[in-house]
Amino acid sequence: MKKVQIDRRHFIKISSLSSGGLVLGFTLPGLQALAIPLGDCEFFQPSAYLKIDTKGKVTVYVAKQESGQGIDTALPMIVAEELDADFRDVKAEIAPFGTMKPGEHDTGGSQSVLDMYNKLRNAGAVAKAMLISAAATLWKVKESSCAADNGEVVNTVTMQRIKYGELVCAAAKLPVPKEVILKSPKDFKLIGKSEKRSSLKDILTGKTKYGLDLKVEGMVYAVAARCPVLGGTLVSVDDAAAKKVPGVLKVVSYKGTGAPMHVRAGVAVIATSTWAAIKARELLNITWDEGKRNKESTDELFKTFASKSTAKPQIEVYSKGDAGSYDGKNEIKAVYAQPFLAHATMEPVNFIAAVKEDGCELWGGLQLPDWAVDRVSKDCGIKKEKIKVNLALMGGAFGRRLHFDFAIEAVKIAQQFDKPVKLIWDRVDDTQFSPYRPANYHLLKASTDDKGTIAAWQHHVLGTPIAFMTDSPETKNIGEMDGADHGFCYAVPNIKTGYTPVDFNINRGWLRSVDICVNTFPVESFIDEVAMKLKKDPLQFRLSMLENRPDFKTGEGPGALTQSPARIAGVLKLAAEKIGWSAPRKSNHYIGLATHSFIFAKAYAAHAIEIELLAPKKFRIVKVVAAIDCGVVINPDGLLNQMEGGLAFALTQTLKGEITIQNSRVMQDGFFSYELLRYDEMPPVEIHVVDSKEDPGGVGEVGLSTVAPALCNALAAAGQRPRNLPIRNEGFSWV
Amino acid sequence: MSMSILKKDSPVPENSCIMYQREKRFAIIIFVISCYQLFFLPFQTTCMPKFNLNVNNKQYTVEAEADMPLLWVLRDLLDLTGTKYGCGVASCGVCTVLMDGNAIYSCQRSVGSCVNKKIITIEGLSEDGSHPVQKAWQKAGVPQCGYCQPGQMMAVAAMLEKNKKPSDDTINSAMSNVLCRCGTYHRIKKAIQLAIEEINK
Repeated sequence: MKKVQIDRRHFIKISSLSSGGLVLGFTLPGLQALAIPLGDCEFFQPSAYLKIDTKGKVTVYVAKQESGQGIDTALPMIVAEELDADFRDVKAEIAPFGTMKPGEHDTGGSQSVLDMYNKLRNAGAVAKAMLISAAATLWKVKESSCAADNGEVVNTVTMQRIKYGELVCAAAKLPVPKEVILKSPKDFKLIGKSEKRSSLKDILTGKTKYGLDLKVEGMVYAVAARCPVLGGTLVSVDDAAAKKVPGVLKVVSYKGTGAPMHVRAGVAVIATSTWAAIKARELLNITWDEGKRNKESTDELFKTFASKSTAKPQIEVYSKGDAGSYDGKNEIKAVYAQPFLAHATMEPVNFIAAVKEDGCELWGGLQLPDWAVDRVSKDCGIKKEKIKVNLALMGGAFGRRLHFDFAIEAVKIAQQFDKPVKLIWDRVDDTQFSPYRPANYHLLKASTDDKGTIAAWQHHVLGTPIAFMTDSPETKNIGEMDGADHGFCYAVPNIKTGYTPVDFNINRGWLRSVDICVNTFPVESFIDEVAMKLKKDPLQFRLSMLENRPDFKTGEGPGALTQSPARIAGVLKLAAEKIGWSAPRKSNHYIGLATHSFIFAKAYAAHAIEIELLAPKKFRIVKVVAAIDCGVVINPDGLLNQMEGGLAFALTQTLKGEITIQNSRVMQDGFFSYELLRYDEMPPVEIHVVDSKEDPGGVGEVGLSTVAPALCNALAAAGQRPRNLPIRNEGFSWV
Repeated sequence: MSMSILKKDSPVPENSCIMYQREKRFAIIIFVISCYQLFFLPFQTTCMPKFNLNVNNKQYTVEAEADMPLLWVLRDLLDLTGTKYGCGVASCGVCTVLMDGNAIYSCQRSVGSCVNKKIITIEGLSEDGSHPVQKAWQKAGVPQCGYCQPGQMMAVAAMLEKNKKPSDDTINSAMSNVLCRCGTYHRIKKAIQLAIEEINK
C-alpha cells in the first residue's frame, strides 16, 4: 500500500451561495473555477479526471488524445481500479481542452500511461475515500468499518450495502482527505485483466466521429494548393475557371510560415462541398516563386552523408575510454542507411476553424494542443485567450498531429471567410506536404580483441535533424533526435558516438518510435554482423555483454533515464526461447534476433523472426515472436494490439516504405507509390509478456524498432545482409 | 477574371493574418459586397441536378453535380460519415460500401451512377452492431484507431454474402486492397474466421 499526499488545491472546494443552493466548485490548474448550480445534486466531481452521477455512472475525462492507442480504455481502468467501481458503469470522455494543467493534454512518446498512472490512481482513491466517508456518516460508524466493492460501499460489520450513486451528494459536501491509501498492485482486480475497448461499439457501427467527420453549424469546405517547394512564395493566381465550378464560394491565398511548423504558401478554394473544392482546385492557374532551394534530392543527400561520414562527427554525443585509438585495428566496418518516411495516417490531415471578430474556435485532433494554441496565436495574430479548442478523435496519428501546420493553415483560410471552414488535405497533399521522419546514415566500426570481444565501438550518425525545423525547446538536442546512441546498452570498454547534422529542404517531424528506430536498425544489425564475423552465436554474444552489466544512466541531469541491460537481456532470452532458437531448424529456415529498450517509456522489447529462404533474395516470414517487458500491464489486450500493430507498422518501413525527393519535391503521391503493408503480408505473430511489478511503461512504440534488424539478421543468416531500408531497394522480395 | 494577389517585391507585412486584422474595416465593406455579388448571387441561381438514392433502405433525394463521388454524397450531403475518405483513387479501400450486394469503392462511383441501386453503408449493415461481421470484430477486439474498420467490415460482409466458406485465396484477394495503418491485420484474420464460423452455424 502506498500513502499519497493530496495537493488540496487540485480538488474540490465547497461553498454556499446566498441563494441557498449547493454549489460544487472545483478549482483546477488551467481551469476557471466552475460554479454548477445544482438542485439537490446531480453529480460529484472530486477532480478534473472523473465525475460520478446520482445513478452511479462514472465519467472519466481522458486528458490524452486517442488515436488508436487504447487510452480511452486503459486510463479509465486505472481510475476504476482505485475507485473500486464496476467497470461497466465507467465511460470515457475526451477531457475538454482547458480543464487540465497546461501540457497535460500532450500525447506522444508513449507517455500517456506513465504520465497519468499515479494521477488517476490518486483521483480514484480520493473519490472512493470520500464516498466511504459519506457512507460512514450515514450509518454512524467508523470509516474503518466500511469498504468499497464494485460500485458500492459495504458495512463490513452488518454487511449492509449502498450504491455509490446514492452517496454522491453527501460525498460532494465533504472535505477532501489529506492523504489517501493506494492499493498494492497485488490487490489489483481490474488492472492486468483484458478489457475490450470502451469505444468499440461506436467504431463498429460507424458512429464514431473523427475530426474529418465533424460538422459545425454553417460549415463550408476548403482544399488548398500549396507551393511545391518548402519556403517558396506565391506570385499570382488565376482563379477564373475555378470560380465557375458550381458550389465554389471563394478563393483565398495565404502566406507560409517558417519554424516551427513550416506552413507552405497556399491558395485555398472554399466551397459548399469537399468535391466542389477538389474539382475547382484543379482549375487554379498558379505561379509560384520556388526560391533558391528547389533542386535538392535524396540521391544527393545520401552522397553528402557518405562523403561526410568519414570526417570527424560535428557533435560528440558520447565518449567512454579511448575508442579513437583503435581506429583501423582489427576493425569491422559497415554502413547503414534509412530513408525519409511519412506517417500516412488513414484519416488524412484535416482541421476546422471558425474565426470571429474577437477570436476563433477550432475543432480537430492535436497531440500538442497547448503548443498549437500558442503558435496559432503568434502566426495568425489572435489572442491566446480568444482561441477555443475542441479536441477530436484521430484516425491514426503516429506523431503526425504533434505537428499542427494544418491548424495554422485552417485559421489563415478561415480568417478570410465568415463561416467555419473545414480544411481537408487529400491523400496527395497528405503524402507530399507533411513533416517526414528524417533520413539517416550510419558508419559503424568495431575493433575486436584477441579474446573475441568488442574492444571499441564507434558510431557516426548523419541525419537531417528535426531540431533544425522546429527550433523548439524540446529539440535542442540535435544528436538525440537522430538517435546518436548515447544509450548503447552493451558493455564495451571504449565507445564513441558522434553526430553530423545535414540540412535539407523538406519538413521533418516525429514519427512513431522516432530516433529509436533510427538507431536500433544499425546497432542491432551491426552487433549481429560482428558476432557472425567472430563466429559467435548472436544470442550468446549479446547476452555476454548485457547480463552482467549493471543498470546505467542514459543522458544527464534530471532528464537522465535508467537503462536496464538485464531487462534488455530478459526480453531477448524470452523471444529466443519461444521461437526455438536452440531447436533444430528445417532446411532453408533462418532466425534473426534483435533487442532494445524504449527507455523513455520504460519498456523493453525483443523480436525473433523466422524466415524461409525461397531463392537467393526471396523469402517468406514463417513466424514472428515478440517479447515485451513494460512493468505492470494495465490492459493486456491493448498491449497485444499495440505490439501486433507495431509489427505491421515496422514491417512497412522495413520492406517498402520510402519517401524520395527530387527537385525538392516528394515523388510519392499516395498509397500506390508509398505502399503500406497489406493484409496478405501480415505474418503470424505471437507475443510474450514478462510478468513484472515495476511501474507501468508505455507500449505504443517499443514494439517497432527491433523488427527491421531481426528480419535483416535472419536474411544475413541466410546469406545476404541488407544494410539499407527498405530492403526492397536491395532486391529482396517476399511472399 | 483573374486576380493577382501578391507580387514578390510588394511591401506586405510579414504576417498576412495580422494584415487582415488591421485592414479589416476597409476589407469588410469590399468583402461583403464582392462576396455577395460575385459568389452568392450566381450560386443561388445555379441549379444542381437531383438524384434519388436508396441508402440503407431509405430513399433520399440529393442535389449534386452528377460527377460527385458517392463517397462525398454520403459524407457531406447525407451526413453518413461512417464511410471514410482515405485516398479518393481506389488505393486504400476504406470507403468500401455495398452496392446491390457487391463491395465497391464509394470514391470511384459518381452519384449519377448510383440511381436505382441499393446501397448499404456501415450504418446500415445492422441497426445495433449485430451483423455477424460486426459481432466477430467485437469479439476479436479488432480496432485501434478504427478509422478503416468500416471499410474492412464492408469488404468482408460483401465477400461472405457471395461465399459462406471462402478459401484463403478468396479472403486474401478480398482483403488485400483495404489498408490499415494501425496494422490490425492479425485480428482481422481472426475476426474473419469467427464470422465464417458464425454464419455457418
